Amino acid sequence: MLRLRAHPLKIALVGNPNVGKSVVFGRLTGRYATVSNYPGTTVAVTKGRALVGAEVCEIVDTPGVNAIEGCLTEDEQIAKAVLVGDETDLMVQVVDARNIRRALMLTAQLAALHKPVVVALNMVDEALERGIAVDANELARELGVPVVELVAIEGRGLEALRKALADARPLSVPALRDVSSQVTWAHEVTSRVRHISSLSLATVQEALSRATRRPLTGIPILALVLYSLYLFVGVFGAQTLVRFFEETVFGRFVNPAAIAVMAFVPLPIVRDFVVGEYGVITMGLTYAIAIVLPVVATFFLLFGFLEDSGYIPRLAVFSDRIFRAMGLNGKAVLPMVLGLGCDTMATMTTRILATPKERLIAILLLALGIPCSAQLATILGILGGISFGALLTLFGVVVAQMFLVGWLAARVLPGRRSEFILELPPIRLPRLANVLTKTRLRVWWYLGEAVPLFLIGTMLLFVLDKVHVLGALAQAGRPVVHGLLGLPDETAEIFVMGFLRRDYGAAGLFRLAQSGQLSAVQSVVALTVMTLFIPCVANFLMIVRERGARVAVAMLAVITPIAVLTGAGLNLVLHAFAVTF
Amino acid sequence: MHLRSPSDGVRPLATLPAGASGTVGRVVGHHDGDRLDRLQALGVTPGAAVVVLQTSPGIVFLCDQTELAIERAVAESIFVVLAEE
Repeated sequence: MLRLRAHPLKIALVGNPNVGKSVVFGRLTGRYATVSNYPGTTVAVTKGRALVGAEVCEIVDTPGVNAIEGCLTEDEQIAKAVLVGDETDLMVQVVDARNIRRALMLTAQLAALHKPVVVALNMVDEALERGIAVDANELARELGVPVVELVAIEGRGLEALRKALADARPLSVPALRDVSSQVTWAHEVTSRVRHISSLSLATVQEALSRATRRPLTGIPILALVLYSLYLFVGVFGAQTLVRFFEETVFGRFVNPAAIAVMAFVPLPIVRDFVVGEYGVITMGLTYAIAIVLPVVATFFLLFGFLEDSGYIPRLAVFSDRIFRAMGLNGKAVLPMVLGLGCDTMATMTTRILATPKERLIAILLLALGIPCSAQLATILGILGGISFGALLTLFGVVVAQMFLVGWLAARVLPGRRSEFILELPPIRLPRLANVLTKTRLRVWWYLGEAVPLFLIGTMLLFVLDKVHVLGALAQAGRPVVHGLLGLPDETAEIFVMGFLRRDYGAAGLFRLAQSGQLSAVQSVVALTVMTLFIPCVANFLMIVRERGARVAVAMLAVITPIAVLTGAGLNLVLHAFAVTF
Repeated sequence: MHLRSPSDGVRPLATLPAGASGTVGRVVGHHDGDRLDRLQALGVTPGAAVVVLQTSPGIVFLCDQTELAIERAVAESIFVVLAEE
């Protein structure tokens, strides 16, 4: 029963993946949600507050789980920790009415926790459309807890769910210790409460689903998706929005204001630190907010749309075999696509991969070959002006290098690949509100987690510049750049800067190319080397955070020679065949 | 009517053509992996209705109302009791 208490009642939402848990969460809490990493881990747990009757409750949205017993994924371990501990007084199991048998297997495991439960039977409308009727009253009798029918996406049944919370009680189902008896029980209960008049997917959905996971139709669809990505992120985000933020917001207001304020500080070194050439505000913040933020924000928006539409898992189906050659499986497509937006964030999402070996290979390939949106913009900007052949050469070399390195890594690194078993959520039109919420949460992640990395990178740059290491590095790189890669001396400095601040490298190359100092061949070589380098210092620091400093340094030690030698080889070949593009 | 021997009607999912349907007979575990656990958690358990949707690239099938994609090696370990035509 709900009553007045010293601490707010803590309600945890639990359920299989893709049952609409976060929609229920959004409906219960309104928009006041915070995302925080679960202590000691980095899986996000969303928390919020909701009014139930006259009482304010705390609501936790746990990651989607298929089990809380046996062999668990990281998400499942965290969900279990939340459910078992003091963080949960009451559980709401969100159930997809179409998939009740699977949900009941989870219910059998939840029963062992002896906490009050309410079952929210979601998507009853879609179930009915497919000829599946679930008898909620019968199910309530079987389980001994309230069962509420919902169409969460339309907000139907939410009021009943709030009311039912007062009647929550522990599940009265037999204690089933082993999985096979849980399976049997779930099967039996299902056969008593569920009535099916037909078993099929909705036809339009099935047609769309088929089109996206088959190569013949899937590849043109992929090309279309990538093209919209380019238009929305590469043109609208990276050009229109960046120009506004960089020139207007920072150029006219933020930076002049910061410089004016800092003018009162008598110490030149402090002034330089904040608003100098490598200043925390004039360089670090300008970069992180004015240049990268518009790009990642537009990317996250489109990515969230693709994610909610169910498209990305289908991409995994037809890329599975390709990734298998590189010691990964189709699931790796998610971090790889995300890497086209921001390699730093993609490095973090490699956590969805099951084994340490897969995570390591994926991080390596992201750092080596996947150009982030800032890199893509430069590549398209410079090479697009030369010829299609130049673009093709760069991407051909980079992709070939990724295959080669991935193939070798799969054989050299210890450990194993996990098997490809993936649930494909239904293809559906995403709801704008949900996509916006996701984007907002990701942008917050970016501001909280990635921006500090950029600021640290800027400080590093400031120190390196003050102790004259920056110039020395560029000096040391000159023979390599000039002799091996056949590039002008200035490119050495551009590469060093490019690692610390992507757009400096890009702008530097742009300037060289436009002033006619780079030939077509030199542009292709320079951009190929830049793409193969670790994208930026933030990406490097993220690798340190994810896999430790030793692994990060080892990757740097592997990737740098690969990038330089590939560039040198490409330079030789292009000259040998007198390619001019 | 054509009579089948029982073994005729039970085949690994990996050998079924697109469009074939039936129910899961049994799922064989794997010596070192967690294949059995993962399949069970996704609802691939004896008695579940299956329809094969696609066999290449990658096998996609419908299990109850869940659409699942698996690699061939995994499909070898799922035995399906074919529906009588």
